Amino acid sequence: MAPEVIAQAEERLRRLTQVLTTRAAIAQTPKQVIWTLNKAKLYRYVPVVSAEQRHRLPLLLVFALMNRPDILDLRPGHSFVEFMVHKGYDVYLLDWGTPGLEDRHLKFDDYTLEYMPRAIRKLKAVSGCEEFGVLGWCIGAILTTSYAALRPDDGLRNLILLTAPLDFSNKDAITFAKWTDQRYFDVEKILAAFGNMPSEMIEYGAKALRPVENYIGNYIRLWDNLDDPRVVEAWHAMHTWVTDNIPMAGATFRQLIVDLYQNNRLMQGSWMLRGERVDVRRIRANLMTVIAEGDHITPCCQSESIHQKAGTRDKELYRIPGGHIGVMAGSGASKHTWPHIDAWLGKRSA
Amino acid sequence: MKEKDSGSAQSNPSESSRPFDPLEAWKSMRDASLEVWAKGLTEAVNTDAYTQATGAMLDAYLSASAPFREVMQKSMAQALEQLGLPTRADFESLAERMTHLEMRLDDMDAKLDQLARPRPARSKSKKLK
Repeated sequence: MAPEVIAQAEERLRRLTQVLTTRAAIAQTPKQVIWTLNKAKLYRYVPVVSAEQRHRLPLLLVFALMNRPDILDLRPGHSFVEFMVHKGYDVYLLDWGTPGLEDRHLKFDDYTLEYMPRAIRKLKAVSGCEEFGVLGWCIGAILTTSYAALRPDDGLRNLILLTAPLDFSNKDAITFAKWTDQRYFDVEKILAAFGNMPSEMIEYGAKALRPVENYIGNYIRLWDNLDDPRVVEAWHAMHTWVTDNIPMAGATFRQLIVDLYQNNRLMQGSWMLRGERVDVRRIRANLMTVIAEGDHITPCCQSESIHQKAGTRDKELYRIPGGHIGVMAGSGASKHTWPHIDAWLGKRSA
Repeated sequence: MKEKDSGSAQSNPSESSRPFDPLEAWKSMRDASLEVWAKGLTEAVNTDAYTQATGAMLDAYLSASAPFREVMQKSMAQALEQLGLPTRADFESLAERMTHLEMRLDDMDAKLDQLARPRPARSKSKKLK
């Protein structure tokens, strides 16, 4: 065999090993911690646009509870956070952190009515602005929708919901709803065993929705493109994020399964958080919902009905091809989703 | 127009004269079969039978491991207590108290933020009166 063929094979093997055994540098946009509570942290991204040219309203990003929010700031040049900071937004990120066993009693009630209001109070103090916008993604959208409904007078002017699992009525279309059917899925047994919902089980659940793509196709794509540094870099960053899941606090997981997946209490208007009914008709913030048409984790039907029910007058439903994560972190996100969010939010952030 | 025609006429023979690449053919076959597998398995995980089977497996594992886990937890707590070391429950209650303390600090911090914020002119003139 020619020496150059051997050298090439060696180089491919070295690159493969490096990508599969190391973590890519992600979430690199400069930021400062401005508030902490328990495991939660509120970050403020260092502005790059002068105060005069910035949008007046700050923007708070709220991501899901069982994944790290780094996906919003994946890598330089491919980061939603970086994009928004350069567009002149004062961007804040609420990172829920990793719950320990001692946090297993934390509920949606605590996140929505204790952590979020406190983080927002700090955001207001730091930004000097009493109004703000919030972007909630996935479970983060459940939290922000609940907050918007429970605290409509707290200064929330703009609400962006990304791939929001809010309506659980169409069980045939939602694979997770089938899997968590109370006839087969005993949430109490899981929580009695582990306290929190283990990250490994969450990761397995997400991957098992598309087993061939996630367990085989994904690695074949890497192997086929090992000679293309751009693809390898993007794959490495995404793999780093995908494999870094965190557990979900036990009581929150119980609410997610029993109250939402099994009984659809949020959209039925019977969900109670700390004795308060979450009534989405009370939402008054300008509302944009981003729906990923190819989303197999949160099918479109889960995010549509909020538009009929929310009490706000200024609403937009934005449909875009792509998957649950690809819609914000895929190759087309910087050309479609991000500019659309900027255009919608920019007009409403003066 | 002429140039265009000649261009396309030139490209066709070059494509057809490209040597057969067995690796490319294998890749196409692989991708096609993976697609079939992906579709089949995605449909399979959406069935009641899959839900029932995974539910039963999980249930069996959790039921079988529960007694061992309980014995382990109890004996560990007893051992730690006898050695005079804090147990998991002690750490949990400590963490809870820390969070409560943090909340009180957070409230104080918010009050300080309010004090540090410049007061609106109206309230100042009211005070002077």
